[in-house]
Amino acid sequence: MRMRMLSVLKSGVLLDIYFFKNNRSTLISLMLWPYLMLGMLLGFGLIFGSTSAFKENIGMDVNPITYFVSSTVVIMACLGLLWDVAGSVLELRWIGALPYVILAPYRISLTLILSYVPRYLLISVIYLLEFTPLIILVEGLADGILKLGVIFTALTLGMLPMIGFAGLLAVLFIMMEEESNVLSWLNPLIMLFSGAFYPAYLLPHWAQTISRILPSTYTIEMARLAALMGSPSMARITFLMGLLIGFAVLYNILAYSLMGAGERRAMQRGAI
Amino acid sequence: MPKTTAIDVLNLVKRYTTYERIGFFRKRKKVIEALKGISFKVMEGEVFGLLGPNGAGKTTTVKIISTLLLPDEGTAKVLGYDVVEEANEVRKLIGVSLSVEKGFFWKLTGRENLKYFGMLYGLDGELLRKRIDELIKMLGLDELNAADKLYEEYSLGMKARLSLARALLTDPPVLILDEPTLGLDPPSARSLRELLVELAHDNNKTVLITTHNMFEAEIICDKVAIIDKGVILAVDTVEGLKKRVAKDVALEISFVMPAKAHMSSLLDMLKNALKCPCNISHNENVYRLRLVINVNSVDEITSMALKILHEMKCKVRRVDVKEPTLEDVFIKLTGRRGFK
Ligand SMILES: Nc1ncnc2c1ncn2[C@@H]1O[C@H](COP(=O)(O)OP(=O)(O)OP(=O)(O)O)[C@@H](O)[C@H]1O
Ligand SMILES: [Mg+2]
Repeated sequence: MRMRMLSVLKSGVLLDIYFFKNNRSTLISLMLWPYLMLGMLLGFGLIFGSTSAFKENIGMDVNPITYFVSSTVVIMACLGLLWDVAGSVLELRWIGALPYVILAPYRISLTLILSYVPRYLLISVIYLLEFTPLIILVEGLADGILKLGVIFTALTLGMLPMIGFAGLLAVLFIMMEEESNVLSWLNPLIMLFSGAFYPAYLLPHWAQTISRILPSTYTIEMARLAALMGSPSMARITFLMGLLIGFAVLYNILAYSLMGAGERRAMQRGAI
Repeated sequence: MPKTTAIDVLNLVKRYTTYERIGFFRKRKKVIEALKGISFKVMEGEVFGLLGPNGAGKTTTVKIISTLLLPDEGTAKVLGYDVVEEANEVRKLIGVSLSVEKGFFWKLTGRENLKYFGMLYGLDGELLRKRIDELIKMLGLDELNAADKLYEEYSLGMKARLSLARALLTDPPVLILDEPTLGLDPPSARSLRELLVELAHDNNKTVLITTHNMFEAEIICDKVAIIDKGVILAVDTVEGLKKRVAKDVALEISFVMPAKAHMSSLLDMLKNALKCPCNISHNENVYRLRLVINVNSVDEITSMALKILHEMKCKVRRVDVKEPTLEDVFIKLTGRRGFK
């Protein structure tokens, strides 16, 4: 079993390497993307108020750059994972490769999800490295490295519930009758509700309910705490870590139990 | 040595539920019975052909045996493993090619695609590299300079070869191929057919192919199942099937039709008068009437047919009496014209 999981992971890495090797422009846009996103988030943030108003809203003295860099990296990595796992089902079906992926002698969902885990970690690291000079510039060397460490921890922990969440979406896509790409309008909504534009606790009440069930909300919050390090936030970090692990268990159990039913239904309907 | 059963299909039923749109939101449920209880056995080392017209249920059957589709009733076993209950075991034993014109990553080369799928199927390192080189050579992808081209630049024939290469990656004992020669030019189709026969007869692999090409089924299949509208009409060797029409011969009359004559009314007239399976094909303005008839009625029917053709002002060029082919068997079994 371990050997097999390893070969799925390895084939996923191979696919990425080949893909980027043959598509240099995609690689370049992947590298530019976080900076564009940061610009957008800062822009949105500033629509709601100036830097000082922002500090007032947050209620603490934080550097907006660190604050938004952390949300940018997290939200992009989270959405990337959703897109990769759930979107890959659609893509594989379009190109007709889904049957051949399923023919690998493992659980279908396992194959689909595991292939994309290495990419998530790799992309998280690339994004972080891209922002490293910026963070060190605004925070200084020691603080900067510490904060990057916190963001990376948040990313890694945040991946766990996100896998389950993405798995649920993937099942939905396999089962869906119509192949519209829900992801394209789901992405901005998830960004909004996870509080990527503006802190989630400033959202209207009904929206906060949705925020609370999205694992990305907590990952973003945890990464943002990096910006507040030095303030008494260690307890909050521990709390968030626990919460993320709890969500990971919840979503993965949920996904795992629904996936079996989803797979069967898809194979019953002739959707593959 | 008695051969063992490689693929055992028993009373398979498959119903597809589809929804017809009857309003913006309202849909009507519609059930299509694609397989109505089919059974057949494929022996080890055999090339077995599922022969049938479009929509007969060939792909449906192949998908069920490949563990990609769940049957509603009945069972299918591959080398003793049930395709539903022991799907993962079955997956280790089969090489599958569904539609040859797709199923790969566009932005990867053929070789990279094979490497990805090879790894996914548990191969690795030097072994995988060697196997891929071997397959690229075996399927002539190297001669076409296609191995290191992006898949999006492939021609249909290259795609078909790559698809078979993937099916062969793990050197599986059972090959399941849906219309493997689709899109191949005649020489390539011939060498692929030879390869399949060689794999089955020399390497003891079991090969299940689907086709609607009679000629193909006749030359490579050890056994053929004729399937139509989800029902198997006959399973036998090509020789055995032909024996069913052994007392029959194929009468062929070539003629030129005057421009104004109506093809369909001519066919109706012939069918009504002769009461036997008729088929007309044509090449430019030369038409070929093919009748499967009993040896004893050759004389009578020939004269009747000639008379009708004469009445319709057709000029007869040639009359032949031939051995019946698989196509004639099909026409006789289904009571329908050929489906070309
Ligand atoms: N996913 C599906 N949903 C609904 N109906 C389907 C589905 N797949 C196939 N069918 C129907 O089932 C019947 C058998 O289809 P199948 O694809 O097995 O035929 P086939 O023999 O492979 O034909 P062809 O020679 O055209 O490939 C057809 O009537 C087809 O419309
Ligand atoms: Mg078909």
